[in-house]
Amino acid sequence: MSLRPDGRVVKSNMTLSDWIGFTQAELVGKKLHDLLTVPGRVFFETHFAPLLRMQGFFHEVALDFVAKDGARIPVLANAMERRDDRGDLVFTRITIFKAADRRRYERELLEARTAAEAAKRELQALNATLETRIRHAVDERLRAEESLVREREMAELREQFIAVLGHDLRNPLASFTGGIRMLRKEPLSARAENLLNLLQGSVLRMSGLIDNVLDFARGRLGGGIGLDVDPDEPLQPILEQVVGELRAAAPEAVIDCDFAISMSVPCDRVRIGQLVSNLLGNALSHGDKGQPIKLCAITEPGELVLFVANAGDPIPQATMQRLFEPFVRGEVRHSQNGLGLGLHIASEIAKAHRGTLTVESSDRETRFTFRMPLTHSDVLER
Amino acid sequence: MSVTRRNNVRLSGTGKRPMIFAHGFGCDQNMWRFVAPAFEEDFQIVLFDHVGSGQSDLTAYDSEKYASLSGYAADLIEIGRELQLQGAVFVGHSVSAMIGVLAVLEAPEMFESLVLVGPSPRYVDEGDYIGGFSQAQIDELLESLADNPMGWSAAMAPVIMGNPDRPELGEELANSFCRTDPDIAKEFARVTFTSDNRADLPKVPVRSLILQCSEDVIASETVGHYVHRHIPDSRLVILNATGHCPNLSAPDEVIAAIRAFA
Repeated sequence: MSLRPDGRVVKSNMTLSDWIGFTQAELVGKKLHDLLTVPGRVFFETHFAPLLRMQGFFHEVALDFVAKDGARIPVLANAMERRDDRGDLVFTRITIFKAADRRRYERELLEARTAAEAAKRELQALNATLETRIRHAVDERLRAEESLVREREMAELREQFIAVLGHDLRNPLASFTGGIRMLRKEPLSARAENLLNLLQGSVLRMSGLIDNVLDFARGRLGGGIGLDVDPDEPLQPILEQVVGELRAAAPEAVIDCDFAISMSVPCDRVRIGQLVSNLLGNALSHGDKGQPIKLCAITEPGELVLFVANAGDPIPQATMQRLFEPFVRGEVRHSQNGLGLGLHIASEIAKAHRGTLTVESSDRETRFTFRMPLTHSDVLER
Repeated sequence: MSVTRRNNVRLSGTGKRPMIFAHGFGCDQNMWRFVAPAFEEDFQIVLFDHVGSGQSDLTAYDSEKYASLSGYAADLIEIGRELQLQGAVFVGHSVSAMIGVLAVLEAPEMFESLVLVGPSPRYVDEGDYIGGFSQAQIDELLESLADNPMGWSAAMAPVIMGNPDRPELGEELANSFCRTDPDIAKEFARVTFTSDNRADLPKVPVRSLILQCSEDVIASETVGHYVHRHIPDSRLVILNATGHCPNLSAPDEVIAAIRAFA
């Protein structure tokens, strides 16, 4: 179509009339913006008309025409100004192409771009979350390491505390023992001799209690029971020493021993002594005072079997199940004392040796059995 | 960042009195290419691009600041302060007419007078007020910008090719003129076509000239009369020029009217 200098249509072709429904005669005198949508009008006035004036042409401008029946016709328009020698505008020629397909394509491109941008934003958000999570994980890890370090420091402090406590508790007992030994060198009445035996028994029991309490504290506070294993040292002497000490402390009790240790036992002898002392102490407290206590230690192929048996009332079923837990005692009788740690510590010592401590209790006898493997490496690994 | 760099401020002219030109929605300071040179002898000419248009610094664009015309008015005042303008003649086209009105309310000492080319304080009809567009039409306009920025930018791309027929328009001009970032164009259109500055007109403290085109589909003659009625010390000149950009289509008429006023 051609426009006069005042912007009104002077001429248009049949094809345009076919597209937009206005006859060629109807189009004469109309302005271009009369045929455009409102957005098209605004863009034309604010952008394309200035462009046309500045450059003398524009190419491929996207516009929507409004047909006579109101339908929207997407088009691309090229425009060219024709001026005379003095530079005055003679006419403007506008060439119009239907652009429905192209517009649809552009819209699809736009949708694709919008989708891509949304995906990009999503990815960025994801990255941000990931970074936050990594930061949190690193923080957490750092905190965990810090608390591990703190815990280690605390553990060291505890070890020192327990060591100092043990030392301070045992020192006065050592004085007692020394005092008793010196008194025995003096001439003594039979009654005084008897009193000294009682005193020595009390010192022995006190010493065992201290060992148990300290071991318990160490185990509870994370130290565990440490072993000092020497497979070459014989086991029997320590067992005999423990029995001797208990006999001295309880002269009326009968302890029958049966040792058949023919193989070297890779154990901490002091700990095994403590285990046996705890089991014998338990038998002395709970067993029938009139009947002997049996202690038996034999090496069988691959394992050490050691048991302590006594006659007396059987252990009640309810107590049996929790017997090796700390602070558990049988039915409390006034004659009994102790913290209920002895069996717990004995069981822990057994475990430390990769062994087991089990109990059988019937009307006939109550028997605690300790079994441990004789393979060195098993124990040494700990 | 310097204000002059941000707004691509260009100075020319040998006169003492400042005259500052502001372009409207669409294109950039080149809109004044046929008008501004006529005043170079008598005035100090200041041209600039709004942030987001022409060769302004696009990184300075801030959707929040420019969501209202006062953001643009603040820039105008900053330019005036930077150049220590006093008693300037402000010439604003289209939406910049209202930006000038807002600026003179903030900094009256800076301006001696306003020349408002195709002004409209509100484009949307409301009650008795005729802005020229229904709300639905403005919605369609803004939607079409949101829907179809491709038609916009793709349409712009082919024209950025230099101009063999009009050598006086250098390549620099062809490359920048009317080139728009689609997202910024969308927001500039929104603030332009949805703002309402009718209440500001009666407060204008300086004399004003309103240049109104015939048959302007963007700011109609009715709106021109409205602006004239509401700005106290104002003159209205109806130009023979048609369309919305007499600064391009009828520069001589615009020059004559401004000369007679300034």
